[in-house]
Amino acid sequence: MTSASIKLASVTKTFDGKVVAVDDVTLEIGAGEFFSLLGPSGCGKTTSLRMIAGFEHPDAGRIHVGGRDITDLPVHHRDMGMVFQSYALFPHRTVAENVAFGLRMRAVSKPEIERRVAAALAQVALTGFEGRRPSQLSGGQQQRVALARAIVIEPRVLLCDEPLGALDRKLRQQMQFELKELQRRLGVTLVFVTHDQEEALAMSDRIAVMSGGRVEQVGTPTEIYERPRTRFVADFIGEINLLDEGARPRALRPEKIRLVPPAGARLAGTVETANFLGGATLYRVNAGGRTYLAREAHSGERSPRAAGDAVGLAWNDADVVSLES
Amino acid sequence: MLRHDSAPMSSAASRRPSPIAWLIAPALLLFVLFFILPFAVMAVMSFFSGNPISNPNAVLTTRHYQRFIEDSAGIFHDALWETLRIGLITTVVSLLIGYPLAHWMARMQSRLGHALALMAVIAPLLTGIVVRTFAWMTILQDKGVINTLLISWGVISKPLPLMYNEFGTIVALVHIYVPFMVLTLIGVIGRIDERLEQAARSLGAGRLRAFAEVTLPLSLPGILAGSLLVFALSISAYVTPSLMGGTDVLTLPMLIAQQLGTSFNPSFAGALGVILLAVCLVIVIAYNAILARLSGEQGLA
Repeated sequence: MTSASIKLASVTKTFDGKVVAVDDVTLEIGAGEFFSLLGPSGCGKTTSLRMIAGFEHPDAGRIHVGGRDITDLPVHHRDMGMVFQSYALFPHRTVAENVAFGLRMRAVSKPEIERRVAAALAQVALTGFEGRRPSQLSGGQQQRVALARAIVIEPRVLLCDEPLGALDRKLRQQMQFELKELQRRLGVTLVFVTHDQEEALAMSDRIAVMSGGRVEQVGTPTEIYERPRTRFVADFIGEINLLDEGARPRALRPEKIRLVPPAGARLAGTVETANFLGGATLYRVNAGGRTYLAREAHSGERSPRAAGDAVGLAWNDADVVSLES
Repeated sequence: MLRHDSAPMSSAASRRPSPIAWLIAPALLLFVLFFILPFAVMAVMSFFSGNPISNPNAVLTTRHYQRFIEDSAGIFHDALWETLRIGLITTVVSLLIGYPLAHWMARMQSRLGHALALMAVIAPLLTGIVVRTFAWMTILQDKGVINTLLISWGVISKPLPLMYNEFGTIVALVHIYVPFMVLTLIGVIGRIDERLEQAARSLGAGRLRAFAEVTLPLSLPGILAGSLLVFALSISAYVTPSLMGGTDVLTLPMLIAQQLGTSFNPSFAGALGVILLAVCLVIVIAYNAILARLSGEQGLA
């Protein structure tokens, strides 16, 4: 399967002439990359995806796939696989017919369709489910059918709109691994829309964090997490301590703060609350009139602190990130 | 373990009819009083030589049905065929007009636009049937709007026969029954997820193909319900065919009214009523079976 790069050049989309959904977005997604569009609802991530798919036409800007301008190409000529949040399986067709749909549209011969449908269902571990109706499947199985239906046409690009959003936590984690593994095996370019930062961090090669129709930052999960560029990104991805407000705020992740004996510490304070998270504890510590979040992984040696305990805070200056605004 | 005994108790309670079930009593009463009872009287009457209550000499007979089957005057079979043909054409035309309209309305984004279109669709239902029919007469008759205009433009020299025939009858019937088709279809099409069509398009189907592969088969239940409704309404229509059909059109309902009013033969009218209902039932069951089979292949059964 050959994968293709995607390029959005100054793409803008306005709805009803006033609501700017996507505002001058420029992105370059490499061939074979697992790329996430991450942001809160209304940030323009889904609209961006729908423009790549061809369901929306940008008001300005161009979209290139594999070096070719596809801005004006109709949806059904784009050769992209799409997985919807609601799966959008055809309820009146069996699993095999759902998966075969794209091949039928391409006038592939019957034996070839049978062979490829069987292969695609094997890829998503659904062999034996050919004759079932979507309504007879669990959410996770429906998700796999939707995936099989999208990959069977051997798309150069796979577009996923919050595909795991409707699954429960445990199943979602399992599907994260499987989707990532499938993408690697197929080598397909995958654009993944999500509002779940953990999901984006766990799966992506690179992430674009979006807000208000604009791209706030593009980078690897480590870059986005360790070196957020803006206050929005720092705040949206995980918990953060803002050390000083103003034109150039500085930020510090809770796990970079160490809890030490009060004597000789950078700051001395008292524990307000201690939230046990399983593998770690998240402390709210009041020091110098403000609250700090500190996350301490359990090593098994230190005894956990309780509310009211006096503690000292320490951190390395290298871990403090300066934000743009 | 101690709680084991509560299970049979709760299942016994669930077997008792819900008090809410009593709420269907008025509907049931209405149905029995105004449908089952009159139909039973009509069916019984159709097997008597006269009114068994007023005429003690009335005897059981099948001669009314024989009269219809023999059809010595040569009008009864024609009337039945005419009735079915008008019903069929009205249904097909209503579907062809109603489906695109319903699809457009069901997919409309603007709430205001939807409300306005809905009002326009329902408007014919808010005018009386006689008023509507007379409105069509002023448009379609020989000295009506269409013929007058076409003659004054010199397009035609003699007025076109637009009414007092089957054509005029069907035009007026379609006008009345399209709203029933549209309202039935809007509900069904509106419940079909638009993303299904989008998924089909992303998989390589053009807009038309996506519609034919996804939306059309999924709206078959609505097509079935709407068609049956319009068919049943139009084969039982009386006012419109009598006003718009002139002497050209004689449908079974008109014949029944004639037998009751002019010929005063309620027994034969009853027989005609039973025949109309029987033929109608056969057609409905056949149509249902065909569509169920069609949608069964699509997995809707």
